[in-house]
Amino acid sequence: MTRLIVSKLLQMLFTLWVILTVLFFLFRLGLPDPTVALVTDGLSPEDRAIVTERFGLDRPLPAQYVIYLGNALTGEFGRSFHYNAPVTSIVGERVANTLVLMLPAILISYTIGPLLGVLLAWKRGSKLEAGGITAGLVLRSAPMFWVGMLVIMLFGIQLGWFPTSGMRTFPYEAANFFEKIFTLDFLHHLILPTIVITLYYTGLPMLIMRNTMLEVMGEDFIEFAGARGLSRARVMYRHAARNALLPVVTQAAVTAGLAVGGQVVVEVVFSWPGLGLEMFNAVRTSDYPLAQAAFMLMAAIILVLNFAADVIYGRLDPRVSYTSEGAGV
Amino acid sequence: MTNTIRVVRTGLAVALMLGVAAATGFAGGAPEPEGDPVPEITIYTTTESYDPIRYEAAFMIQDAWEELGFQVNVEPMEFSTLLQYFYDEQDFDATILGWSGRVDRLDPQHFLGTLHGEQIDLGANNPGGYVNREYDELYVRQEREFDPDARREIVLQMQDIAASDAPLDVLFYRDEVVGYNNERFENFVAMAGEGIYNEWTPYEVTPLSDDLMLTIGTSQEPDTINPLDSTSVWGWKFMRMYYDKLVRLTPDIEPEPWAAQEIIEVDDRTVDVIVRDGMTFHDGEPVTVEDVKFSFDYFIDNDFAYFRPFFGPIDSVEVLDSSTVRFHLAEPYSPFITVTLSQIVILPEHIWGNIDNPADLAPDDIPTVGSGPFKFDTYDRGEYKALKVFEDHFSAGDIAIEGIDYITYADSEGVFTALLTGEIDMNAWRMEPGQIPIAEAEDHISVITVGDFGYYHMTYNLRRAPFDEVQVRRALAHAIDRNTIIDVLLEGRGEAGYSVIAPINTFWHNPDVERFDFDLERARQLLEEAGYTWDAQGRIYAPQS
Repeated sequence: MTRLIVSKLLQMLFTLWVILTVLFFLFRLGLPDPTVALVTDGLSPEDRAIVTERFGLDRPLPAQYVIYLGNALTGEFGRSFHYNAPVTSIVGERVANTLVLMLPAILISYTIGPLLGVLLAWKRGSKLEAGGITAGLVLRSAPMFWVGMLVIMLFGIQLGWFPTSGMRTFPYEAANFFEKIFTLDFLHHLILPTIVITLYYTGLPMLIMRNTMLEVMGEDFIEFAGARGLSRARVMYRHAARNALLPVVTQAAVTAGLAVGGQVVVEVVFSWPGLGLEMFNAVRTSDYPLAQAAFMLMAAIILVLNFAADVIYGRLDPRVSYTSEGAGV
Repeated sequence: MTNTIRVVRTGLAVALMLGVAAATGFAGGAPEPEGDPVPEITIYTTTESYDPIRYEAAFMIQDAWEELGFQVNVEPMEFSTLLQYFYDEQDFDATILGWSGRVDRLDPQHFLGTLHGEQIDLGANNPGGYVNREYDELYVRQEREFDPDARREIVLQMQDIAASDAPLDVLFYRDEVVGYNNERFENFVAMAGEGIYNEWTPYEVTPLSDDLMLTIGTSQEPDTINPLDSTSVWGWKFMRMYYDKLVRLTPDIEPEPWAAQEIIEVDDRTVDVIVRDGMTFHDGEPVTVEDVKFSFDYFIDNDFAYFRPFFGPIDSVEVLDSSTVRFHLAEPYSPFITVTLSQIVILPEHIWGNIDNPADLAPDDIPTVGSGPFKFDTYDRGEYKALKVFEDHFSAGDIAIEGIDYITYADSEGVFTALLTGEIDMNAWRMEPGQIPIAEAEDHISVITVGDFGYYHMTYNLRRAPFDEVQVRRALAHAIDRNTIIDVLLEGRGEAGYSVIAPINTFWHNPDVERFDFDLERARQLLEEAGYTWDAQGRIYAPQS
């Protein structure tokens, strides 16, 4: 087991290095010069050269790359070109805002979704199943900005029940992040965006669960469980569901990883000051350090969660065993 | 089925033959083209999502130019890439961009400079490469002319020269349409180029409810609130409320002595400023002539590039006595009072004097002590800002509100929704065309339209054929349907452009410059006079050189 974890960790480090490298060159080759926007402010070429030097962009690309890798090893991601502030502090602020929005929504989706999926498989051929599948597909395909705008129009503007933007009503007093979010006012702001994200996210685990359930339900042990006189609900939710859960867990790991990047669209529609919005702006203003750090964080979390999913598999389904010959099911 | 296709094909063939015959017949009288075909022209413009108006305008211009026989492509691109091709690489044929109307640009210096022959280097403000010796000489003369009327004569003449040479087409000046909540405040001040988000609105507004905080919604975030580092309009529009300047521009853009008691022009290179008595910083320390001298020296010593155009002309600053500061200029510089003195803020020496590298300050260490009419209160990046009235300011008695809240939204749609729900009292930046009728239908929202002196333009690369010939540029100018752009794309909210100095800038604008009305016949005639010819397919050929 130790050997397995070590080799997995080494793989992860290698993957991280590849991602770091790709990010470095992707942004520098793909995005315009970050100082170009200064021209419209009336800066002369000489003045811009000073800015370029300050950003360290006057050095040759390989030299920049070596510095960048060295800094990344120590967790240092430099200063944002746009804000002239340390990237880590900006990303830190933003990632917390995003997580308090995304995690509850994902948690709800991945609780309700699989439960509904079981129900759909159970009621195979019924109107309930047809309606459930249609609803799942529609919600999954409806653009989130559109759903968001409808929700804002109805509950925010027409009915006036909920605030339409931001995390809190201004001005407010909060000494730290926890004081900021442990309030009714915050929950009030959280409800609309959470509904939009949950509606979108629930479809996928529901449909995956239904599909795997249908496979599992054809197996002998289900029939056997039924023959033992267990109730249908017990067979479905205890015996079949547990065996059908693996693909949902994989999906949950990926979804949770991507959640760090937030849902740019939802953050824009609800003016939620999260990381997704910041990433979008960083790419738009060619703010390499900020964009690199944000994407890196996202990649790292996906890697870690995938690793965690691998380990959890063994727990959920003892048939999954890791041996020195490799993983076998 | 097969028969139908055959019939259609035959029909097509006949039509094609007829078409060719017609074209040949048309070209029968025309001389055979001699020179080379005019190279293809590519128009760079913004993406549709960034600005649908500039995007659509490019295609309208393409259609008209193609009717003249040019081969025209339109290439929309992401905004900073567009800037890079235009300014940094000067790798373009024709580019549609714009200059924003910042209040310091009401002085004609900056916009005239965009056609100055010494600003044609890579990255500089004249990427089209227009050089006209007469224009350049006048540019230096107006810069040194202190008498406004004499300077105005020169500025008008320069606009004449530039308009006739047509190195660019000023397409339109776009109206600023903003809204405010008329149930909560009244008496908003509208300023050209700034809308109602200007320095005077907080003075003039009268609260109509118990809430004395004016709440402004914006989708634009300051880059930083470090006055030695901010290069964005949005940083400065916030900071200028809590810092004082020697001069402020009135809503009619007249310089008004502010922290200055009096301004005396000793000669064309020397200006004395008597500093107002009894001012204090927000921390209680008095504002002295030493602070004033320090501030200018500090901006100059730190060589903060953004302010170079403003402090550039200053040779030295000298304290004459306890209330007078003397500015020595290297060259006579006419915009000194309106531009330099109205842009550089007064910083407390007892705070900034201890900071050696102000541009490297961490965000939490940036001082926010000024002497302005409002005190800094809060800045939560990306979310919220707040200012409170500074009761000890000499102008505090004129202010009816208690302070200003600024709420940041992700985009203009968020700002607009907040205006609808009453969460904010006014928006900082203009509404989108689709939002205007909705706002107008709301009882609690009043809509204000203000002209702008920033302009949208299509600039030609004069280093490339066919734009190197003035006659071609003049012909192309006749093939731009400005009125349709305004009526259809802007829904009438704008004005056709002919000069880089906008009509709303009444003092400096030249209303008599040559105008190129939309007239394809006239365009064709100009091209013929220049020796251009067309082949049988109607494609245009340059004269043999």
